[in-house]
Amino acid sequence: MNLTDPAVRVTGLTKKFGAFTAINDVSFTVETNKIYGLLGRNGAGKTTLMQLLTGQQFATSGTLEVFGASPLENARVLQSLCFIKETQKYPDSFRPAHVFASAPWFFANWDADFAGRLAEDFRLPLNRPIKKLSRGQLSAVGVIVGLASRAPLTFFDEPYLGLDAVARQIFYDRLLEDYAEHPRTIILSTHLIDEVSNLLEHVLVIDEGRILIDQDADELRGTASTVVGKKTDVDAFVAGRDIIFRDGIGALASVTVTGLGEAERATARAAGLEISPVSLQQLIVQRTTSQPSERDADRRAPGQRGRTGAGNGHSAEGRGDTPADQTESKTDAWSAHS
Amino acid sequence: MTDLLTSTPTSVHPRSAPARIWNVVRLHLVDRRTYIGIPWLIVGMAFVVTVFFAQIVGFTNGGLGTPDAIAGQRYSWAVLAPQGYLIAVGVQAISFGFPLALGFGVTRRDFYLGTALLFVLISAANALAFAVLTQLEQLTEGWWIDTYMFNAIWLGIDGFWVDLFSFFVMQLLVFFVGASIATIYMRGRMPGMLVFWSSLALAIAGAVTIITFTSNSPTVAIWFGAQGIAGIFAWLLVPTALAAIGGFWALRRATPKN
Repeated sequence: MNLTDPAVRVTGLTKKFGAFTAINDVSFTVETNKIYGLLGRNGAGKTTLMQLLTGQQFATSGTLEVFGASPLENARVLQSLCFIKETQKYPDSFRPAHVFASAPWFFANWDADFAGRLAEDFRLPLNRPIKKLSRGQLSAVGVIVGLASRAPLTFFDEPYLGLDAVARQIFYDRLLEDYAEHPRTIILSTHLIDEVSNLLEHVLVIDEGRILIDQDADELRGTASTVVGKKTDVDAFVAGRDIIFRDGIGALASVTVTGLGEAERATARAAGLEISPVSLQQLIVQRTTSQPSERDADRRAPGQRGRTGAGNGHSAEGRGDTPADQTESKTDAWSAHS
Repeated sequence: MTDLLTSTPTSVHPRSAPARIWNVVRLHLVDRRTYIGIPWLIVGMAFVVTVFFAQIVGFTNGGLGTPDAIAGQRYSWAVLAPQGYLIAVGVQAISFGFPLALGFGVTRRDFYLGTALLFVLISAANALAFAVLTQLEQLTEGWWIDTYMFNAIWLGIDGFWVDLFSFFVMQLLVFFVGASIATIYMRGRMPGMLVFWSSLALAIAGAVTIITFTSNSPTVAIWFGAQGIAGIFAWLLVPTALAAIGGFWALRRATPKN
């Protein structure tokens, strides 16, 4: 396996379930030793795509190469993959200890000490039957297998589901530490974009079975900027521009607009406005909801929800560079469509 | 963030096919209770029940240890008590084991061969254990308390080797029937189940109808009688093989449920 060869190469991939097209003529490549985000709303086709990449599903048409060959029934390829699904099933009597005891037989790079430390960090009860674990503990089992397997291509399927704020931070830290020591290709699927946005080096956004965005994460962030300042100044500056998101408190406004050049940024700064980095989630929500015209009405929902949807308990768990209430509102906006 | 000079990139260490298949066997056995602990616990409980049952049979047949009482205990199915549980184990080996094995990067082929090897090994072990227990029961004249659990139904009639062979075939059939039912479900979900069960019902009803309408019932009965215990279990290898091969065929295109 050459390091410069892509880990995954997909061309014209289509998967139909009867009349329903889950994956629709998708083409992309995944470079080795990078962290990819596979983002999309519920039912967008994330799980189907990962199942195709891991040989669990059979493609209707198109070609699919993982480490240079089709993953289907290919022991050489499959031995270098790890994919614990969000809905992973375990044998009825299994406890987490059974999972971690058997994992080294399938993952050549398995680090049992690392798995043990992670289980302590996540406070995972190793001898409690898996069917009695909470949602967060179940996620922790998958996250620990994914991390400790050190598989050359590792999938994390909704790793944050049910994890508390501390556990999410642990996952974030351990993943980056271990990735630095043992580089590998990671595909992280989630619909909670802000939670993972700082991890991602490349973003694949899938919607209704099609790849909508396939872009470097920093490049993608650079396609928009948030202008913050006095409401009157901000309004004057953004007049006539493509506004993605608008928020504000009292006389202050924060408006996200697309495509600001260096000269325009300088103009804004001169006008006493501040330019701040844009949230990946805002960008992606805007791109995924503005496709068909009838959804234009929904586009404004995030801003409105940001002010009305606060206080239902999850806000305190928001992590990252955006205020907690915004994380909340955007997550709501996205799942409201599904 | 990534320093390729000081860090060790992850690599692939391919494992040989026999090693991969053996690892599937180990995966099934990582929780020993499923295949060993619980079945023998059931055997133990069945024995306790049998001790009481033997007293009842003895009481109604004029005393424990009389030929009538020993013959009466032969009708007890206690020796097959774990088999209902083991059918469910066969089902779960596929319905829960298959999705986990796929997540662990196992091919369908390796998973099925490993699972089949596990069934053969457990069946051989169980056959040996039950055939030996049948012999011991005869030697100790019902564990010194005239309680016969293993010398029942067909076991203990034609000797050790027939017991060994027949129990092995029966156990293998139980596992593969359970596994192939689960595999058909994995492959065809509910419609697959409906097609399978209705075809099976039609085939059985059709065979019985043909035998009855051609007035061949006595011939069939005589034929079965002529096979003997070893012969009948040898014939049971046919449905066992059909279930095993059919399960393999169905699993090669099966996908885990979401």
